[in-house]
Amino acid sequence: MSDPLIRLENTGVYYRGGWTLGARPPETPWALRGLNLEIQKGEKLGIVGRNGCGKSTLLRLLAGIITPDEGSIRYSQSGLHVQLLALGVGFEGNLTGAENAILSGLFMGKSRRHMESRLREIQEFSELADAFYHPVNTYSSGMNARLGFSIALQTDPDVFLIDEILGVGDHGFLNKSREAIQKKFKSDTTVILISHEAKTISSICSRAVWMNKGNILAQGDPVDVCKTYESQGSPSRR
Amino acid sequence: MNNVLRYKDIIYYRTLAGLKSEARKNYLGYLWFIFEPLLSTGVLYFAMSHLTGNRGADAILTILVGMITWQWFEGSIMLSSLSLTTKFHIHMQVPLPKYLFPLVDIGTHTVRFACAFLLVLSVCLCLAHGPTIALLWLPVLLILQLAMIIGFSLIISISVTLMPDLKVLMQSIFRLLFFVSGIFFTAEKVPAHLLPYFHANPITIFIESFRGVILEGKAPNVSLLAYNAVITVVLFVVGGCIQSYFDKRLLKLTNV
Repeated sequence: MSDPLIRLENTGVYYRGGWTLGARPPETPWALRGLNLEIQKGEKLGIVGRNGCGKSTLLRLLAGIITPDEGSIRYSQSGLHVQLLALGVGFEGNLTGAENAILSGLFMGKSRRHMESRLREIQEFSELADAFYHPVNTYSSGMNARLGFSIALQTDPDVFLIDEILGVGDHGFLNKSREAIQKKFKSDTTVILISHEAKTISSICSRAVWMNKGNILAQGDPVDVCKTYESQGSPSRR
Repeated sequence: MNNVLRYKDIIYYRTLAGLKSEARKNYLGYLWFIFEPLLSTGVLYFAMSHLTGNRGADAILTILVGMITWQWFEGSIMLSSLSLTTKFHIHMQVPLPKYLFPLVDIGTHTVRFACAFLLVLSVCLCLAHGPTIALLWLPVLLILQLAMIIGFSLIISISVTLMPDLKVLMQSIFRLLFFVSGIFFTAEKVPAHLLPYFHANPITIFIESFRGVILEGKAPNVSLLAYNAVITVVLFVVGGCIQSYFDKRLLKLTNV
């Protein structure tokens, strides 16, 4: 097997919840501890687990938003573009949809030129028509979500991190956005999906990881892992 | 290099958004960029001219130059102290250097200052003795003050995010500085034995230098400017260390 795209070795993260000097206070819980995980290029990794098991912390760590407090995280190449699918990051109400598309793309690691070349696609996918050139604070929440989703779709990261968002908008757009996400799952892009829904993970991922209390309980074939999770870990079965 | 260009564009778009939103907050929009310093100058002139006996156009221009210099400094730093807390949701979603956000607020405030400054400069040059060679010092003064503002904000933006109590302390310090920085009086009014303390305050040095250059056609005191330059370098070094240490740790320390 080739070198992994991202490798986490014995990784630990904790939140202090305030600024205190010195070492880690003993009562501070670890959000992640002793985590070992390898992510291969092009794989579709699903992560299941209950609330507070460290899934979101893991995504933040992978996206480079935070650093580990112990252990390490290694990327196979410098400048690897790992991005969280976030809708409407940093939208400014007074800027137009087009300006926000550029700004939001810049936040997500793309250049102004790249975003300018994708404006037409974003306008078409979001179905905003002329409203694309009006200030975003005149939009409905549905229009906002459509624009946010269309922008995120055009950022083409090397690794896409998705936290439960599998579709937005009204019925028509929901189907369209779901299809677009499914397409990502069929492409070469590496995708990491977090979900409470074991069914979703087992149907679209190529590998699954079950997390509990900041560590990995099981990993491997998504159907097997999800079955174990549902029988032992899912709150609905408790 | 790509990142530098990207950060430059982020600062550009966010500054643009900041200016648009400031303008839309009030009926008079961008006119407030000029009205605000004029109004504060009017208030100070009204209050102070009776006490000091200094009246007329010269007294007004002296206060006006002091006031815009002060407001640029105070406004930028106070605004940048909250830059990170108000945009915390963005930091939770994308890995961006934390210093970008104070820079945006400084950018917005600097455009405000630039509008007022250009107007005041033209009025002063008409009423005082026209353009002189000393005006060549203006770019040096402007760049140095901007650099000092950035230096302070690198430190303050992180500190206030970690310790919100500092905001109250800062308000008190700025209130004190407002009264002692020579906004509505000049160095001649300061007793000789207090002058070294008066000039230990970097804002005083900027205000005096701007007044000298714009109103009197006089070159600034180079050793005092060098003192400000040294402070700026120290602020950049300390600020740079703080920013790089806390950049990826901030989110684990607080969730404002």
